[in-house]
Amino acid sequence: MFHKILIANRGEIALRILRACRTLGVEAVVAYSEADRDSLPVQLADEAICIGPADARRSYLSAPAVISAAIVTGCDAVHPGYGFLSEDESFAEVVGAHDLTFIGPPPSVLDRFASKEGTRRLLGGYGLPTIPGSDGMLRDDDHALEEAARIGYPVLIKPSAGGGGKGMRMVRTPRELESAIKVCRSEARSAFGDDSLYLERWLEDNRHVEVQVAVDRYGHGVHLGERDCSVQRRHQKILEEAPTPALSPAARADLCDRAIRAVVAAGYENVGTLEFLVDGAGDFYFIEINCRIQVEHPVTEVLTGIDLVATQIRIAAGEPLGFSQADVQLRGHAIEFRINAEDPEHDFRPGAGIVEAYHAPGGPGIRMDSHLYPGYEVPPYYDSLLGKLIAWGPDRATAIVRGRAALEELVVDGLITNVEIHKALLANEVFLDGRMTTNLLDRIGSAAFLAAAART
Amino acid sequence: MPDDRDAARAAARDDAPRDDAARPDAVRDDAARAADHAGIDRLAASLVPALIAKIGTLNVGELEVREGEWKVRLRRPAGSGTGPTYGRRATDRPSRTQPGHEQHGHAPASPEPHRTPRAIHSPGGAHAPAGAPSTNGSGGPALAPVGPGRDGDAHRSGASGGHVAGGHAGGASSQIATSPAVGVFHPGPKAVGGTRVRVGDRLGAVDMLGVPQEVVAPVDGIVVGVIVEGGTAVEYGQELIHLEPATAVEGR
Repeated sequence: MFHKILIANRGEIALRILRACRTLGVEAVVAYSEADRDSLPVQLADEAICIGPADARRSYLSAPAVISAAIVTGCDAVHPGYGFLSEDESFAEVVGAHDLTFIGPPPSVLDRFASKEGTRRLLGGYGLPTIPGSDGMLRDDDHALEEAARIGYPVLIKPSAGGGGKGMRMVRTPRELESAIKVCRSEARSAFGDDSLYLERWLEDNRHVEVQVAVDRYGHGVHLGERDCSVQRRHQKILEEAPTPALSPAARADLCDRAIRAVVAAGYENVGTLEFLVDGAGDFYFIEINCRIQVEHPVTEVLTGIDLVATQIRIAAGEPLGFSQADVQLRGHAIEFRINAEDPEHDFRPGAGIVEAYHAPGGPGIRMDSHLYPGYEVPPYYDSLLGKLIAWGPDRATAIVRGRAALEELVVDGLITNVEIHKALLANEVFLDGRMTTNLLDRIGSAAFLAAAART
Repeated sequence: MPDDRDAARAAARDDAPRDDAARPDAVRDDAARAADHAGIDRLAASLVPALIAKIGTLNVGELEVREGEWKVRLRRPAGSGTGPTYGRRATDRPSRTQPGHEQHGHAPASPEPHRTPRAIHSPGGAHAPAGAPSTNGSGGPALAPVGPGRDGDAHRSGASGGHVAGGHAGGASSQIATSPAVGVFHPGPKAVGGTRVRVGDRLGAVDMLGVPQEVVAPVDGIVVGVIVEGGTAVEYGQELIHLEPATAVEGR
């Protein structure tokens, strides 16, 4: 096991990693930017070190600053959390070159799964169905038009690098394709420094279901069930739950089984998530793999009782997984609500400011992962996630009832949050019936969604 | 709770929504944001140095120039008779790094030992425009004397670090050179008590993964002492060298 870990992230995930380190008996150093000096992870850490100014490019995204901090504080591993440097395989490589361990897949594995298009081909070869898409990257407009005609409209334009909906557009006609492709290229270039794009057939009314896996260095892997992340706003997840209401128990078992067999065969290592789209007929298509811990990992933790962050650290340290598929028992139903500092009534505009009052809900089956405290000033520079409320129940109906009560109990004063959209979801028939698709919010618009909920 | 603390919070809160509403980043896409960054880079590289030179020759407190949709304003600090202090803000376009930083300066929760002003003061306006940029290396304006310099955009965040000197308020007039990076500190030959230095002079370096990041004098003045021993690991913003500004020295 490691001696000391540098946590190269902020907010709730820095706190989550710190807690995992404590349970593993490993010292932890929180690396922070000037804007996060008063943050909870910095205050609770055994040790903290300022690595740069508020601008993430010179702090959380600066590989030299992060690695230098790890070296001068005597760490032997770096945990990147999610976002920032977590999916940068060149960062993982430089970390390794300085005799530090990147907590995640080893650089060689990251390299193998770096291109989304290449990963689809690789895992497609190991038996995962993939969405019909373009043959490789789009060379130019003519190539794009040809491929789109072959695949059939509507098509989704996707960037090879990155995630989070940037550089992504759905188009229904050749004309839309021509204009959207320019926008996507420029978005992808500025967001990821790579403007290669590919096409996929657009599945109407699809659902987003992902499978959590953990594979150790010795090729022993398990899946930890799936999560349904269909409730999204412009490709950003806002609510996740497990098990998915979209599939029968037999179909879920089949999906998870095929996912774990494919990644083990392809030589994956550490925790990871395979994302799938599920169409109306219940057919699933692999879209991409995330080689890191995910925001919504607690859903799986409360269902399995397994600490995924600790598992991630143990695997990176070279330990065997220590449990088998038979040990992974999924119990009950869990829903995670992402609490964001954004205004659902004004196009989800992100906010910042002082938390004047904060109360985290409690009770049976309730977990709140958050870095808030009364008096904390949410800085405007980073993403708007304030915390995650997870509600567990022996069945979906109980999880919903507990989630509703917990959302009522939650107090975050001083900031506008998206709590109302969650309450509206829990009053929405489509959601309550478990029939939500990824376009649930975008199709009718969040404002209409809120208004409809207010009337009921 | 002390009153001033609440006042600072109230001020910060008043600012926040306004700023947010005006902030284009909140609603625009990355392409537009990239175009803005390019615009800021261009202004910072070409227009700002020219303005700094200009304000040095004029007897005015503030200079504002419009170019297209951009507005650049340069202001001398209030009550400073000694010459221009370069600024917090290269453009009036709302920036992500700017407002929160001010708020943060008032943040109540913890003392901030190394949030020290890193103003670029200069007594004789004339040589400052030439002097400060030359230490930057990146060809940028005199907004960021220090910085990792990894991507040549140090001036943006440097601007946020450039705080107007606190010396005027309380009579306490010492200045501190702080660390531009996380790494190992190596004082230079000028980091010796009694040495007279000019703003932008190299006082030492912080070694970040083998790349030295310059520690520079924030003011013209005299080195009082070195706070951190050579070879010590330091964090970003840590206080390294104590200086007595030239104006304070002359005033005695």
